[in-house]
Amino acid sequence: MARQKPTTTTPLSSSAPAPNRTLILDNGAHTLKAGFSTPTTTDREPNAATDSHTIPNTIARSHRDKRTYIGPELADCADFGELAFRRPVERGYIVNWESEKAVWERSLFGFEGRGEGAVLACEPQETSLVLTEAPNAPAVLQRNADEMVFEEFGFGGLFRTTAPALCAYAPSPFPSTASSSPSGLPLECLLVIDAGHSHTTITPLYHGRPLHTACRRLEVGGKTITNQLKELISQRTFDVRREDWLVGEIKEDVCYVSQSFNQDLEKVWRGGRYDQRSSTNDGSSNNDIVVDYVLPDYETIKRGYPRPHDAGVNVRNRALGIGTGAGGRREHILTIGNERFVAPEILFTPSDIGMQSEGLCGTVLQALNTLPSAALREAFLANVVVVGGASLMPGLVGRLEAELRSTVDEAVLVRVARAGDPVKYAWLGGARMARNEEVMREVVVTRGEYFEQGDLWVRRKFAGKVGR
Amino acid sequence: MATGPLRFRTPHIEELPTTGSKQSPNYVYMAVSGQQEDPAKNWGTNNRKRARASVGKQTDQQREALSARQQREVERRIKDLNSDYKPALEVVVPKRDGGAGVGSAAKAGKTPNTKKILASGKTFTHHLEDEEAEIARTGRRDGDAEAPPATHRASKTPLARRKAREDSSLSGSPAPVTPMAPPPLPRSAQALLPSSNAMEIDVEDDDDEYDSIPALPSEAEMEALLNAPPLTYNQARSAPPPPGAPPPRRFCETCGYWGRVKCMKCGAMTCSVACKDDHDQFKCLKMYA
Repeated sequence: MARQKPTTTTPLSSSAPAPNRTLILDNGAHTLKAGFSTPTTTDREPNAATDSHTIPNTIARSHRDKRTYIGPELADCADFGELAFRRPVERGYIVNWESEKAVWERSLFGFEGRGEGAVLACEPQETSLVLTEAPNAPAVLQRNADEMVFEEFGFGGLFRTTAPALCAYAPSPFPSTASSSPSGLPLECLLVIDAGHSHTTITPLYHGRPLHTACRRLEVGGKTITNQLKELISQRTFDVRREDWLVGEIKEDVCYVSQSFNQDLEKVWRGGRYDQRSSTNDGSSNNDIVVDYVLPDYETIKRGYPRPHDAGVNVRNRALGIGTGAGGRREHILTIGNERFVAPEILFTPSDIGMQSEGLCGTVLQALNTLPSAALREAFLANVVVVGGASLMPGLVGRLEAELRSTVDEAVLVRVARAGDPVKYAWLGGARMARNEEVMREVVVTRGEYFEQGDLWVRRKFAGKVGR
Repeated sequence: MATGPLRFRTPHIEELPTTGSKQSPNYVYMAVSGQQEDPAKNWGTNNRKRARASVGKQTDQQREALSARQQREVERRIKDLNSDYKPALEVVVPKRDGGAGVGSAAKAGKTPNTKKILASGKTFTHHLEDEEAEIARTGRRDGDAEAPPATHRASKTPLARRKAREDSSLSGSPAPVTPMAPPPLPRSAQALLPSSNAMEIDVEDDDDEYDSIPALPSEAEMEALLNAPPLTYNQARSAPPPPGAPPPRRFCETCGYWGRVKCMKCGAMTCSVACKDDHDQFKCLKMYA
C-alpha cells in the first residue's frame, strides 16, 4: 500500500525558529496529564500539582442522562451509574484517533470555549509537543501518531518517547540522593516499574536511555484489577458488571495489597460447616478487613465511602424504621471482605486467574537477568522506582520490596521507592527535561524536518538511531 | 492379523504366500510396550473417563494439564478481564454540533494520510498482527536499517526463553550521536572498580563478605546494550513461570478461601461443605450444561 509522502500545507522551511513553548502530554490509557513548560526565564521548578492537569482520557455515555461526556466534560457528570466508557488508548497505545482527537480538542485546544482550569489553550504552531507512549509500540502506531501530530494538529515540534524514559529526569524519590539531581539532567541508573491502567512495564534506564533487551511487560494493570474486582463482587453479592466507574472508586477506596496473603485469607474465612470461625461481632481480628461500603445513589450520597463492618445494621434499620417506606433514605451497603486483597494479588500472582506469566517480582528478575553484568543488576536493584496509578494501592511497594529482598542475594542492596506523585511523575520528568534547552534542541523534531525527511527518518530518530 | 485387546496401532503384517512355504500359524508374536492391564477391567469402552480410571492411571502432570476446552475458557476469561469496553455497549463519538464553519473538512482530516487514520476502524490486535506479518515477511523490523544477520522468524516466545542474541549493532549508522550521551564514568568510580571486567573471587579465603566489587561493563558494552533495537510487543511480554514453579492456586467459588474440594460435575472448587451446598444449588454448571 503506497503511502503518500506528506505534503506541506503551509510552506515551512527548516530554518524557521523553533517553537518556544513546550507542551508535555503524558498520554495514558486512563488519564491525560498535560501542562506547559518553558526553557526557563523563571527559576521556579515545574510543580506537578499546579502546572499540570489531569484529564480523563475517555468518552463516556450515560444511558440515564442520554448524554455523552468527552474527556474533561466528565467533571460535569452528576450520575455515574452505568456509564459506558470507551477509551481511545488500547493496551497503552493510541489506536482510535477519532476519539483521541475529540478528547484532545476539548482538553488542549479550548474547543467550544471551555475556558476553565482543565483546559489549556494551546496554539499548536508555536508549541513543541512532548508526547509519551508505552514501550515496545508497533511501528504502525508510531507512524500514525507522528502523522496526526504534525499534519492534523499542526504542532511546531514533536518529541515522542516512552513514558518511563521521561521518569529519569524527575527528581529522585530516594531520600539520600534527592538533593543531588539538578533539573534537566537524567539520573544515572533507574529501574522504572510503571504500574499503569492497561499493563505494567519494567524499564531499566541508563542515563535516561532504556536498555531495550531488558524491558518487560506484565499484562496485569489497574484495568485488570478493576475487572477482577467486578467479577468477584458480582459472584458474591450483586451484579456490578456494568458499573465501571463505581468499581473503580471502590478499588481506590478499599483495596490494598496484603503483606502476608495466607494469613489475611485465614482471618476472613467464615469457617466450614463443622468448623465455624468466630464471626465479626466479638471484635476479633477480622474486623478490620471486612468493610461495609456505602454505595452512592447520586441523589443524596454523591460518593461512596467505606466503613467498618456492622453485621446488625440491616436488622437495626428495619427495627427503627429507617429506610422502609416511601420517604425513608435507604443506604445500599456492599460488604467487602477478602476481595479487598485478593483482587490486587493478581499483580503478584497472575496464575491465580490462569495467566501464564510470572508475577511482578518474577518479571523484574527476568528483566534483570538479561543484563550481562552483575554490577549492572545490583545498580538497578538499588534504584527501583514505582510509578503509575496502580501503585497508589497501599502495601504494593512494601510487598514488592519484601519479595525482591527474599529472592535476591542477601548482600545486594534493594531499594524500592514510590514516586511522590506516581500519576504525574512522568509529566514532571518531561517538564524538567524541557527546561534544558540543549537537550530539547537535539531531541525535538521540528515540523520542517518532518516534512523534509519523512516519517521513517523521524521514527528512527526517536528510537535513537540517527544522528542529527 | 492382530487379535485381542491391543490398544495401539500395530503395523500391518501380512505373510505373502510363497511356494514352498510351510503352513504358517495365524498369529504372530509382537513386542508390546507399556504396562499391561487386566483385560477384565478393560471392556473396550469409549468413555474417556472410565478408560482413564481403569486402563492406565494418570500421571501427576496429566492430571494438572487442562483440557483444551478448559484452556480456551481460561483464555477467554483473561481476555475479558483485560478488555476495556464490550462492543455491546457501543459508544460513538458524537457529531460536533454548532461547529461554526469548521465542517466536515476538518472532521475528516486535513491530509489524505490523516483521513485514512481517522477513518480506520482497526483495533490494536489488527495492528499487532500486521506488524508480526510484516516481520515474518521481510525479516526485519520497521526502522532498522538492515535485516538481522540470521534469518529471524518472528516468534512469540518471550525473550527469556530464547538464547541470548549477540547482535546489537543493527543501527547501521556509524556512532549515532545521541541526545543524552552518557558521560564517561566519573574518575572516582573508575578508580574504585577493578580494571578488568572479570570478577575476582578468592577461593582460598573464606571471605564471602569481601567479594570484590563486580565491575560495571565497559563503555563499549554499554553502548552496545543501549543501541540494541527495541523489542517487539510480543517479545517484551513476561515469560511463563518456569516448569518447576508451584501449580496455580485455586480458590473457593463461593467465599474466596482456598479451594479444597472439587465439584465432580463442573470442576469448580469450594472450600467447605457449606460452600459446596451453595455451589450445587445455585452455581453448578449442571444447571445449565
